[in-house]
Formats: sequence, structure tokens, C-alpha cells
Amino acid sequence: MSKSPQAKHRARKGQHGHYLLRLFMAGNGPNSQKALANLRSLCEEHLNGRCTIETVDVAKDFQAAIRDNILVTPALILVAPRPRVMVLGNLSDLPTVLAALRLSGSKS
Amino acid sequence: MHGKRRPIPKLPTQIAGLDEILEGGLPRGRTSLVSGGPGSGKTVLSLEFLCRGAMAGDPGVFVTFEERAEAVRMNALSMGWNLAALEKAGKMAIIEARLSGDEVLSGDFDIQGLLTIVGGHARRIRARRVVMDALDVLLRVYGDRQRERIELYRLHDWLIDRKLTSVLSVKAQLDGNMAHRYEFLDFMADCVIRLDHRVLGQVATRRLRVIKYRGSGFGTNEYPYVIGDHGIVLFPLTQTQLTHQPLGKKVSSGLAGLDAMLDGGFRRAACILIAGSSGTGKTTLASAFARAASRRHEKVLYLSFEESQEAMIAGMLSAGIDLRPALRTQRLMVQTALPEAMGSDNHLIRALEAMDSFKPDHLILDAISACVRMGSEHAAFDYLMRLVAVVKERGITCILTNQMTGLAGDGEELSGIGFSSVVDAVIQLRFVDAGQEIGRQILIIKSRGSGHSNRRESFYITDQGIEFPNNLRLPSARAGQADPKDGGK
Repeated sequence: MSKSPQAKHRARKGQHGHYLLRLFMAGNGPNSQKALANLRSLCEEHLNGRCTIETVDVAKDFQAAIRDNILVTPALILVAPRPRVMVLGNLSDLPTVLAALRLSGSKS
Repeated sequence: MHGKRRPIPKLPTQIAGLDEILEGGLPRGRTSLVSGGPGSGKTVLSLEFLCRGAMAGDPGVFVTFEERAEAVRMNALSMGWNLAALEKAGKMAIIEARLSGDEVLSGDFDIQGLLTIVGGHARRIRARRVVMDALDVLLRVYGDRQRERIELYRLHDWLIDRKLTSVLSVKAQLDGNMAHRYEFLDFMADCVIRLDHRVLGQVATRRLRVIKYRGSGFGTNEYPYVIGDHGIVLFPLTQTQLTHQPLGKKVSSGLAGLDAMLDGGFRRAACILIAGSSGTGKTTLASAFARAASRRHEKVLYLSFEESQEAMIAGMLSAGIDLRPALRTQRLMVQTALPEAMGSDNHLIRALEAMDSFKPDHLILDAISACVRMGSEHAAFDYLMRLVAVVKERGITCILTNQMTGLAGDGEELSGIGFSSVVDAVIQLRFVDAGQEIGRQILIIKSRGSGHSNRRESFYITDQGIEFPNNLRLPSARAGQADPKDGGK
């Protein structure tokens, strides 16, 4: 298993991987606040801070919502590393989020 | 509580026929729901509502959850609506709200993003109208009815708070589980319109029905509609059937002998049925009327489902009736079509368009029996009822021919498909065995609002026209009412 392509991919990421995460929120909505808290803890525990979280409040910046076609909030976009991934929801389901961000198994 | 209520404010849709059914338009500042199966025209209807508004200077936002914005623009262009120009002019905004499908779901979310985008565009162009097309596609992402419902109520409240007159379209089969799934939408919306698209006898028919209209009356029938070249066209005719013009003065049948039998002729604005088996002279009788009308400088629209214009003119010429002068002077317009060429709704539109442009005094339809080939007996009945309703409303005399195959019975059977109640006069033609030869006889079975002969009279079709061998005369007291110049001797 450790020699699988996925493992190699993870290793490569680990070397020069810096994560850029853009979180679209709707003001102080409870789901948006939950998503931000979940994302922050994920960053610390699974990326050792190797990440930048960018938040966009769609209520204030509707053009940004148009640009990224954000129909539901909260919505998280993994901007870097590529490929781009979108996760919808308050990110409460950690294993799903980690899998989506290709971080499964980075820390047990 | 009722009756005292002030009429609710409405926004006309400008869609042909719809505002009559909705008694003025959609509820202003409220939410309307349009549901229907695939191909029923939900998108066209809601798009037309928006376009007609935008073209009249009332901007609107169109949110498409299923089709690409470019596809919407193309479809609109085929109806003659230039969305790109309206967008450029700031009268319309098209929002492509399509989830790609590969998003990952984790935890709860809401449609705040969508509302923000719609709100932003609406503010930018000062929109008063919003259409959300194929809303069910967005809701599918929830996969949870409870959440779906909560989000829809959120959307509904948001639209109403902003006083937007909105149309939500939802895909629904009438008896599929989708209908059940979105039942609550019917309660939420102030106005609910159901579109039904079915195929009867290989011909597509579309029907629109208003299910509810909070605070307002509405036409409760099923209304046929077609998607024409310029959008939706509805026929809300059944509501106006009570406005028939009264029967008018006598008008010559074009045959002195028949006028005598009819106590002077037909009544103007009457609906006259000429029934008989093949070859008894139905078309000849109708053509004699047309020729006489054109000589009086009146206009006749002839709808022929039996033969081409050339064949009909040639056939009548051999029976001594020359319709060419009437055609030349444009007092006769012949519209021919194969009944099976299109659905009954399209036939009706064609006839109505001809009536609008040509403005005939009289209409001849040859023959009822062919109309069944429009799809079904039901379709033919519908077509004829609606056609006759318009004809009566406009005070146009109408002659219907019907080819009978069986034995002659009462008026009900003579019309073939049972609408004798709208028929004012019934004339029956038949063959008789007259020894060495076959003769023809004519009988007037009824003539509403007029006296008439009860005798069967013989007549001949010669190369000089129709001749009555018995020198029929008007009852002396009424002599001179008909014009004996035309037709038989």
C-alpha cells in the first residue's frame, strides 16, 4: 500500500504542498460559522498550518459568487494544489472532507 | 370574507390568451408555479413572460438550472426573442445556475449563494420579474425532502420580501412520484399552472389548466395551447361561448329553389350543416353559396380538407359553378390542408389566422368527416367546437359539410360527432333510386329561427349547376326576399 500511486502523490504534495482554500460564506449564518471553525481545525491538525484560508462573504461580494458559480453556502474550493475541488456544506463530515481534499491518511 | 376582498394586483403576461384565463395576469409581487412534463413548454412559457416584460421595459432575471445560458438564448431566438440584445440593454439577466455534479457534500448548506447572485443581478437591472426554470434540478442536490422543503420556503420568502413577481417551473409527471414530491409547492405558490403534453392518435396535444389562484377567480377549463412561431398561443374560447351573435337577416343560399324551401334563405351568422353520402352534392351546394356571396361582394373563407384548391375549382367548373372570378376578386379564399398534416390545435390556429387577416363574412368547412383524421374524434370535436365558437362570436355564417357513410338518422348522427346543438340548420342530401337512373333529394331537417319546407325535393346536378325540376317558389307572402339571380332555375 505504501508504494501505491496515491502514496507517492501524497509524498510529493508533502514536499512543496501549500494549500490555498477559499471558503464562501453567507454572513454569520450558523452553517458558515461552523464551516469556518471546521476548516481551521482541519488546517491545524492535518496540514500543520501549511494552508491559507481565504473567506468570501457572498452577501457582500456577489460578483465573487458569480465568478466561482457559488449557488449554495457554505462552499469550499480547493484552489491549490490542482485539480480544483468543491465541497458543499458545513464540513462537519471530516473523513469526507479529507478524502475530497486528497488528505486521507496524511495523519491518523 | 369573500366579496369584500379587494382585487389583488396582477401583472399581465402578454401571452396570447393566458391573461384572459388568469383574469388579468399573474399575481404581482407573488410566486407562481408552472409544472409539467418534458416538452410541455414550461421554459417557453416562463421565458415568454420574462421577454414580453423586458421588451415592454420591465426588466427580469432568468435563472436556468438545467440548460446552458447559450441554449436558452438560442431557443428564445427561434421564437423571435433576442435575449442577447435585451441583456445588453440591461433589461434582462440570464443566470446559469448549474452545479457541475462532482461537488462533494459534507454537512448542511443552504441556497444563500444563489439568492445573493439573483439579488445582485436583480438590483443591477432593477428587475421586477424573476423566473427560476427547472427548480427541481437544484433541489435534487439535497436528496432530503425536509431540507428541500425548507430551502424552497426560504426561496419563496426571499422573493416575496423583494416584491418580485416570480415564476418557478418544476418538472413533474402528472402521476409520477415527482408530482407528489412537489405537492407542497402547490400550497406555497399563489398561482399554480399545470401544463400537460400528451399524444392522442399520434398527434401531440397540449393542455393548460390553472389549479389555483389565491384571491382571484380564473378560468377552470383545460385550455389547448400550441407553441407557435412567436411563443405560446392559448384558446380560452370556452369562456366566451355565451357571447354568440344573434342570428341575422336572411341570406340567399345561392339557389332559388333552396331559398324557397328555406323560406327565403339561410340566416346570417347561422351554423348550417349539409350532410350526405359521397357524391350527393355537398360541395356543390356549398360552392353555389360561395359564388352567390362573392357576387354580393361578400367574402368567403373555404377550408378544404378533402381536395386541393385546383381539384375543387375544376370539379365545381364541371358542375357549372365557376369560382375563379371569386378567387380573382379575392372574395374567396381557399385554405387547404391534409387533416393529418398537423394537430387540431395547429389547424385551429391556421383557420383563426386566416379569419383575422381575411375577415370573411362566411366560412365553409369541407368536411367534418375529414377532421377526425386530425388525430381522433375528440380532437376533431374540439377543433370544430372552438372554430364554431369563434365563428358565432364574430357573426360569420358557417357551412359545414359532413360525409356520411351509414344510413341517415337524426341531426346528432348527421354531424357525425355529436355537436348538433350548435348547428342552426341541417340539410340532408341523398340518392334515390328513380327507376332508370339515380336521382338526388334534398331535405331540410331543421332551420332554427325560420320556417322551412318539410318536403323532400328532387334536384339535379348538371353542367349548368344545381337544378330543381319542381318549380319551387317562396310562399307568396314572403316572395322577393331572396335573390333569385344566382343558382338554379
